[in-house]
Amino acid sequence: MVVNLINERDRNLARQLVEESGFTFEEEYDLLFGKFEDGELVATAARDHNVFKMICIRESHRGGQCLGELVTALIDSCAYSDIRNFFIFTTLENRGAFAHLNFTPLVTHGKICLLEHGNGLASYLQQHSALKQAGNNGAVVVNCNPFTRGHRYLIEAAAAQVDHLYIFVVREDRSLFPFDVRMALVREGTADLNNVSVLDTSDYAVSQVTFPGYFLKQDDDRLQLQMEIDLLLFARQIAPFFGITHRFIGTEPFCRTTRSYSDTMPCILGPEGIQTIQLERKISGDAPISAFRVRKALRNEDYEALRKLVPAATLEFLRSADGRKLLTTSKNYRRRH
Amino acid sequence: MKIIHKAQAGTMQSSDLMVFLEPAPQLRVEIDSTVKKQFEHLIRRQVESVLQRFSITSGVIRISDRGALDYAIAARLETGLLRACADERKSS
Repeated sequence: MVVNLINERDRNLARQLVEESGFTFEEEYDLLFGKFEDGELVATAARDHNVFKMICIRESHRGGQCLGELVTALIDSCAYSDIRNFFIFTTLENRGAFAHLNFTPLVTHGKICLLEHGNGLASYLQQHSALKQAGNNGAVVVNCNPFTRGHRYLIEAAAAQVDHLYIFVVREDRSLFPFDVRMALVREGTADLNNVSVLDTSDYAVSQVTFPGYFLKQDDDRLQLQMEIDLLLFARQIAPFFGITHRFIGTEPFCRTTRSYSDTMPCILGPEGIQTIQLERKISGDAPISAFRVRKALRNEDYEALRKLVPAATLEFLRSADGRKLLTTSKNYRRRH
Repeated sequence: MKIIHKAQAGTMQSSDLMVFLEPAPQLRVEIDSTVKKQFEHLIRRQVESVLQRFSITSGVIRISDRGALDYAIAARLETGLLRACADERKSS
């Protein structure tokens, strides 16, 4: 029977099994499961949000029931949550074992494979198939926390260079402004442009489908690999569906991670036939416009500054009852993005 | 009966299946199976027969099958439907 491993002794047994299998035990997980037989831990697996990881089965028990039992427990643990698609990152040799559990490969990158259960990607694309257009198409992937004049500038400039521009708004709700608000402001802020489509990224771009590093060697760069897989997913699955041949990105003045992502982009997208175009950010006063600056002005209730940084629809929201509620939350919001 | 909330049933064991149900305006059945190429049409037929019996006209039914036989498909789907259609306020 598969049980939840909670106490220290059980977690240490799991750690031992993971290490004996040649992997690193990662402390980041929401739930850790294990299967005991005659008092001995014979298999273990963990779930971190929607990613299954550290699935280790003792040699003696491979090819049996363990994998099915563990994966069932992992999937069942999401029954009362919003999680619908499940992801596994694994090495190439194990791809087959998971294929039998209806995990479809999404991206293969070197020795690593990203698999998904539930065909969420196919559903996501199919849901948006009405947005498909022929022509020379481009894309931007934006968070817009909130939508600023800087975003507007970037989107206008990008839309002018292509037949049709797809604006992918990051679905994940880890931002001050909730997804529904961010999405609405993007739509309102681009309503007058006649060659753009606004859609969300679901789990398929810049998402928390965070790459677990447990099977990497010491010198493999986990963050770098995560970026590469994210970009490959875009290049091989999303872009071809919408006929996207150009991806636009604004220059990044502050965040090293984002800059690293922008630097990686042409290296990965180029060989896949997608051109990366970097556009300079719009300046206001003496500095580029960024949502970070906007949130800072919001915290200081500096509406004069905000007027210069955000378009009308965003400003209207910020002054509304809901917007003012966020003002209070913003005082405690410490994230870069 | 009507699917009024999310529910699931079954396991990922060999010869079993998992069913995932959620409310939706239209009726849609999605089938994933290790033997999809050979048996998708038969699985679908079995699923539709159960849905008809329960008079289900809307919802998303996703099946993740590992080679289950028809009675197993029926059993898991029925359990899933009973869970999805149950009015929670009434349960004791």
